[in-house]
Amino acid sequence: MIGEIPPWRLLDPAERRQYWRGQWRLAVPAMTVLALIFVMTAPLLVPVPVFPQLALLAIFIWVSFQPGLMPPWLAFLLGLVADLAFAQPLGLDATLFALAAASVRLFDARHGYQPQLFEWRQVAIVATLFELGAWQLMALAGQPIPLPPLGWQLLTTIAAYPLVVALCAVVQRRSFGRGLVG
Amino acid sequence: MDWTPGNRRSSAMRREQNLALIGAVVTGAVIAAGLIMLLFARVNPDGAARLRGVMIDLLTPVWSVVRAPFDGIGRAVALGSDYIGAVSRAERLEADLAAARAELQRAAADRLALAQLRRIAAVREPGRRLIVTARIVSATSGSMARTALVAAGAGSGVAPNLPVIGADGLIGRTVEVGRWSARVLLLTDPASRIPVTIVRTGQAALAVGTNGPRLELRDRVGPDLPLQAGDRLVTSGDGGVFPPGIPVGTIVTAAEPARIRAAATPVGAAYVRIEAAWLPLPVTPEPTLPENTTPVPAEARRSGARAPAATPATPIAR
Repeated sequence: MIGEIPPWRLLDPAERRQYWRGQWRLAVPAMTVLALIFVMTAPLLVPVPVFPQLALLAIFIWVSFQPGLMPPWLAFLLGLVADLAFAQPLGLDATLFALAAASVRLFDARHGYQPQLFEWRQVAIVATLFELGAWQLMALAGQPIPLPPLGWQLLTTIAAYPLVVALCAVVQRRSFGRGLVG
Repeated sequence: MDWTPGNRRSSAMRREQNLALIGAVVTGAVIAAGLIMLLFARVNPDGAARLRGVMIDLLTPVWSVVRAPFDGIGRAVALGSDYIGAVSRAERLEADLAAARAELQRAAADRLALAQLRRIAAVREPGRRLIVTARIVSATSGSMARTALVAAGAGSGVAPNLPVIGADGLIGRTVEVGRWSARVLLLTDPASRIPVTIVRTGQAALAVGTNGPRLELRDRVGPDLPLQAGDRLVTSGDGGVFPPGIPVGTIVTAAEPARIRAAATPVGAAYVRIEAAWLPLPVTPEPTLPENTTPVPAEARRSGARAPAATPATPIAR
């Protein structure tokens, strides 16, 4: 549906307009991630970094839902926005989001669709690697941070996965149709 | 079928392979670019200041409108913790009050003596200057940096590296500035280092953020006195950003490294003062080089050579 160009000469003008009007769907995954980055700047003033990495979860989920619409370069650009929004060194989330998107894409291309419990475990691994990577890359950027407080974020990120997957599923069904059933 | 479909499949496959190859190359390039950007950030941490300013200008207005529910949550939590243990706290406060009254009388006498001494010694101190009072709008609690957004920016005279002071004590310093908003590096950020004095012992030290709820006390110098839980810390004025005497926190664990509970939290609808830097770094004029008075030989002058530009053989030590 997305990405396939319809036989243009067989479309009448109304159908062509409909085709062009449907193009906003290409931006849906990126918009979801941007919205979640914005949510992550919410004024929740707690002493430890407890807010889940919603943007990472959303990228993970969109790479498996719509691999064509969440390529690693797009994850990179979204990561740059996240870096600006969270006052991190430019390139931190960009590198990690792109790495996450690339690795998940590779895994899904090799092994196909997996049941949700398996994906949840996969999220746990990706999030752990993300926090470790962030710890190392912050040191690379010359702003070393202590590792233990990042454990809080790891826990909340893993716990928030079902919520984000439900959200992305709603968005997916609304914008791309009902999926396999029906 | 009047054409042969055989060739089509292989060309489609080739196209797919090419696309996959391009994708892999782009991915690799993008990741390499990210790492290079991190290295740039290491060399130049203040890069992309304009972009960051635009970003916080986008974020701040929205959260300054949508913040009501979050304020409510914060106040409810504070209210609940107020009720728990109210009696024991009242008893403790009464005891503190008695001690404080005696302390206050001594302090009044000291203040008088200090004013006289200052007059005698003609001490001149830079004054504190308020730039703007603003409200804390938002904070990142899910990332590597502990910062808050303040609804006042370059339009109100805010610049990077200014002290941000709350009602109860120090909040942090400004790091990024947009047109209508600024970002404050909180005390709890791992990059935050506050020069402090321990009030009881007079030792100087650094209060360092840990990305957790408590700060750490490091690099303590001064009289060899052990710390006690409950020792108060105030800013020392070293470094020229924070004015001296602003409460920073209280020591909760005296074991090395000592743990500090911050005096002020940015929780709730907190208004903060953004002040001018206490003692901004003086603008050093470019050193003027001594004039080169080496005589030019007569032969050279005749052939049109001018006196050489003033270039000292050795760099001038500052």
